Amino acid sequence: MAEEEPIMRLENVNAGYEKLQTLFDVSLEIPRGKITVIVGPNGAGKSTLLKTLFGLTTVYSGKVIFEGKDITGLPPHERAKLGMAFIFQLNNIFANLTVIENLRLAGHDLPKDELEKRINEVFETFPRLRERMYQKAGTMSGGERQMLAMGIGMIRKPKLFLIDEPTAGLAPKIAKEVLANVKRLNEQGYTVVLVEQNVKAGLEIGHKGVLVVSGRIVFDGPAEQLLARKDLAKLYLGLAV
Amino acid sequence: MDWNLFTSTTIYASVLALLSLGITLIYMTTKVFNFAHPRLSLVAAYAAATLMAYYAQSTGAQPNLTPKSSFLGSLTVPFSWEFYVIGVIVAMAFGVIAALVEYYGILKPLQRRGADYLMLMIATLAYDFLLVATLFIYNTHVDVRKVLARIGVLSTKMSMTSYDVTIVTSGGAFISGSFIFSVILILLLGVSLYLLLFKTTLGVKMRASVENPPLAEVLGINVERVYAISWIISGLTAGLAGYLMLMAAGAGNLKPISATSPADEIVVSAFAGSIIGGVNSIFGSIAGGLLIGYIELYIPNWLAIWTGNAELFKYSKVISMLAVAITLLFAPEGLAGLLKGERWKKLFGRKEEEGVSEE
Ligand SMILES: Nc1ncnc2c1ncn2[C@@H]1O[C@H](COP(=O)(O)OP(=O)(O)O)[C@@H](O)[C@H]1O
Ligand SMILES: [Mg+2]
Repeated sequence: MAEEEPIMRLENVNAGYEKLQTLFDVSLEIPRGKITVIVGPNGAGKSTLLKTLFGLTTVYSGKVIFEGKDITGLPPHERAKLGMAFIFQLNNIFANLTVIENLRLAGHDLPKDELEKRINEVFETFPRLRERMYQKAGTMSGGERQMLAMGIGMIRKPKLFLIDEPTAGLAPKIAKEVLANVKRLNEQGYTVVLVEQNVKAGLEIGHKGVLVVSGRIVFDGPAEQLLARKDLAKLYLGLAV
Repeated sequence: MDWNLFTSTTIYASVLALLSLGITLIYMTTKVFNFAHPRLSLVAAYAAATLMAYYAQSTGAQPNLTPKSSFLGSLTVPFSWEFYVIGVIVAMAFGVIAALVEYYGILKPLQRRGADYLMLMIATLAYDFLLVATLFIYNTHVDVRKVLARIGVLSTKMSMTSYDVTIVTSGGAFISGSFIFSVILILLLGVSLYLLLFKTTLGVKMRASVENPPLAEVLGINVERVYAISWIISGLTAGLAGYLMLMAAGAGNLKPISATSPADEIVVSAFAGSIIGGVNSIFGSIAGGLLIGYIELYIPNWLAIWTGNAELFKYSKVISMLAVAITLLFAPEGLAGLLKGERWKKLFGRKEEEGVSEE
């Protein structure tokens, strides 16, 4: 039954930035081995929710549980050690370093052969990165950069990926590619929490769908159910039906 | 070609390159414009002068200014080689100490209390004044003066120029040890910085910490240690500049050392070198410092010959200020920016060309 146990849980969390509360009484379970997709209108608090999972916001009350352990007050770098990887929306790679330097850096504290093994795994998941190995990361396309950002995350073999709007500002075709890569990541066994503005495309790759509006969770259930709720789509997402 | 102008300008340009590098490095990592930077060199020079003098005194050596003939020409080595080695090592050590005191003693505590960049910049000025005052007090310390005087160093204006190694070639050309030292130094510096930054893990970590500190931290890199290392390198190079100031006072625009000189005048040129180099480029800062050194002396020299008015030499700082103005107006990213430009990339057919962005 261990599989049924969620990897992470929020219990009645009120959180925000210093004095500005942006999340209200949020309770949420992140299922292990699945993709959880968080959607909602602009400014709803999606990024804030993701940051709260990683300890980048102020939690006023409630509990944050990771693998059964209360980690509410734990700073981000300690959470990284527990096996959480946060992929920032912007600046999530080192643009001035080559692809291979980025990956080596991500695993700087690993033994050399273990690091090479993991870099190989990244290249197998994203063959494009092998082709771009000696290229400066900043000269790659937006889609390839997101690939590298995930690759950097993979090197540390995290138990949980938190990914914030990886498709923001990308052309639709490339955005689709990026989401396909998120799916591939999940197929490798990684648990993912994804914040995605492109509701339809996001929910299509997700298992669980979470709709956030004005700092509150309005829907929490199977992704395809959320996708089917035309009433919610019209109300909050401005999604053409 | 005027050989003496060339060698003395080269020494001066090397000093500027060392200083510009230190300024740029600190700006890139800790985002502080360190106005005290040239004064670190003076601390180093004072310390080196003192220990060199004590060393000479303790060995009972008197300067030997009789030239020996060697395969290079007539060679004068006033003291044993250890004398100079001690000078270099002490200068580097004190440059580092003065830099670390600034960082850990003043800037970091202020940062912890939430000081912004402007406050830190002003704090570097305060540290500068503190160092001036300390050097003044040290200058008047009787015992040190006596020791320095014993080997012929004046205590108020310290200079070891007369104890520099010199070569006079059979053709009559005069080559000073400082000239050879500064040329080797700049070459070594360029190569070792390249190796450090591009061929070692530490270098990759440094570049990563400069570019994106939050991401570096998330990946478990000790960004704080990287900053400390950059202060150490900045102190080392300031120390080497201080050694050259001590051994080659009078070269280019270098003045004899006192509590205020030449740091007060050189601070302008050193910042000019850093800005012209592009502020965010290590190699740009070395090139910028060298360039400022050469144009500060050569342009007034040409103007003086052209107009027949030697007074024009007094305005050499105008040249570096003009160079800064032109850079900021037309090429704000400095030399580094020019080299990064598309035109140049095509010209050199750089590797990045292969990965043209899809967007
Ligand atoms: N760093 C921050 N400091 C203060 N307020 C913030 C910060 N980031 C976001 N906010 C505010 O929190 C609210 C939710 O923002 P966010 O979580 O970024 O929305 P979303 O990601 O859903 O577009 C917004 O009102 C936003 O202005
Ligand atoms: Mg957001």
